[in-house]
Amino acid sequence: MILIVNTTSDTGITEELKLNLGERARDAQVIECRDLKIGNCIGCNYCWLKTPGECTVKDDYETILKNFIKADQLWVITDTALGFMDHKGKNIFDRILPVCTMYLKFVGKQMRHVPRYDHSADIGLIVTGEADMDYLNRWNERATLNIGSKSLGVYGKDELKEAASCM
Amino acid sequence: MHVMIINGSPRVKQYSNTDKILAEFTQGMTENGTTFEQYEVSDRSQWDAIRAAYDKNDNILIALPLYVECIPGLLLEFLETLTPKSGDARMSFILQSGFAEGVQLRCGEAYLKILADRLGCEYMGTLVKGDNFSIRFTTEQQHKRVTEPYREMGRVFGRDGSFNAGECRKFTGPEIFPAHIRLLVGLIFMTVAHKGFDKIAEGLGCTKPLNYRPYES
Repeated sequence: MILIVNTTSDTGITEELKLNLGERARDAQVIECRDLKIGNCIGCNYCWLKTPGECTVKDDYETILKNFIKADQLWVITDTALGFMDHKGKNIFDRILPVCTMYLKFVGKQMRHVPRYDHSADIGLIVTGEADMDYLNRWNERATLNIGSKSLGVYGKDELKEAASCM
Repeated sequence: MHVMIINGSPRVKQYSNTDKILAEFTQGMTENGTTFEQYEVSDRSQWDAIRAAYDKNDNILIALPLYVECIPGLLLEFLETLTPKSGDARMSFILQSGFAEGVQLRCGEAYLKILADRLGCEYMGTLVKGDNFSIRFTTEQQHKRVTEPYREMGRVFGRDGSFNAGECRKFTGPEIFPAHIRLLVGLIFMTVAHKGFDKIAEGLGCTKPLNYRPYES
C-alpha cells in the first residue's frame, strides 16, 4: 500500500498525483490533513516508556500511524519554510517515533533504536515552494536510515510525474 | 555581552533536558559579566514575548534537542512566525541528542547553518553533543556528570560569543565509537540498559512490554 499524507491545504496535488499513478492509484491510501487536528510531538517519551507504541497526544495522527505500519511507501506532501519542510510536514515525522522502541542496538557503526515492527515503509517527499533541495535530500536519506528504510527522493510540486514513477 | 536564549525543546521546562543543560551553560557564561534572558518555546503563552525579544536582540542563542535529524516541529512552527533580520544579528546554537555519537547530529547541525542564514543572522556555530537522554530520568546529583561539562562551554561562549573554538568542536566527543567500544556498549544495550529502561517504564506505570505492538492485527 502507498500511503500519501498531504499536509498542505491544496487537495489538487493529490488529485494530480492520482492521475499520474493511473491504475496504481487503487493501491494508494490518501490522507488529507487539511481538516485534521495533528499537533506536534511534545517529547514526553511515553510512546517508548509508558504506553509503548502509542502516542499520548490524542488527535488525528493515530490514523496516520496505523496506516504507516502497514504501508510499503509513505509519501508526505508538505509546504516549505525557512529552507526546509514547514512545521506541519515535520510534525508528521516527529510523531512517527512510536514505531521505534526504547531499546538500542548498533547497526553498522551507529546506534539505532530497535524497530517495533518487522517492516518499515520507504519514504518520499513532495514539497511545494522554495526549499534547500540538497539539504532535504540529505535529511530524508538520514531520517530513513534511522528507521531502517530508504529514501524515495524529494520532488517539487512540478515533478509529480517523476514522483509517481517511484511509487 | 547580552544573550537572548530560546530553549527550543517542546518538552515542558520541568522535564526539559535542554533546560538543565542551559542551567549549567549559563552559569559558566555569566562568570565574566555576560547577561542573558531565557524563553521556553514549549510555553505558547511566551511566544509574543519571544518574538519581541528576538526583534530587540542581536545576539541570539537557540538550544534544542535533535528531533528526527533536524529541529522539532514546534520550534519550527515558532520560527516560521519571525521576521528575518536585516542588520548585524548573530545566531548560535546548542544542539543536543540522546544518541551519543557526533555523527548522529551532523545532519541537524547542517540545517542550523541554513536556518541562521534564512533568518538573516550571521552563523556563530553550534555546540554539538549527544548522550543526554538520561538527564530527565536521573537525580540532579547523577545528571551533573552529563550537564556540568556544559558550564565550561558557557565560559568559552561568554569569552568568544561563538562556538568556533577548538574546545567546542572537541566537546562533541567521538564521531563514531571504535569497534571495541561498540562491542562493549552493544552488550550493555542488551543487558544493563535493557533492564534499566524496563525499570524506568515500571516507575512510570507502564504495564506492557516495551516492544509491545498496539496496532498489529
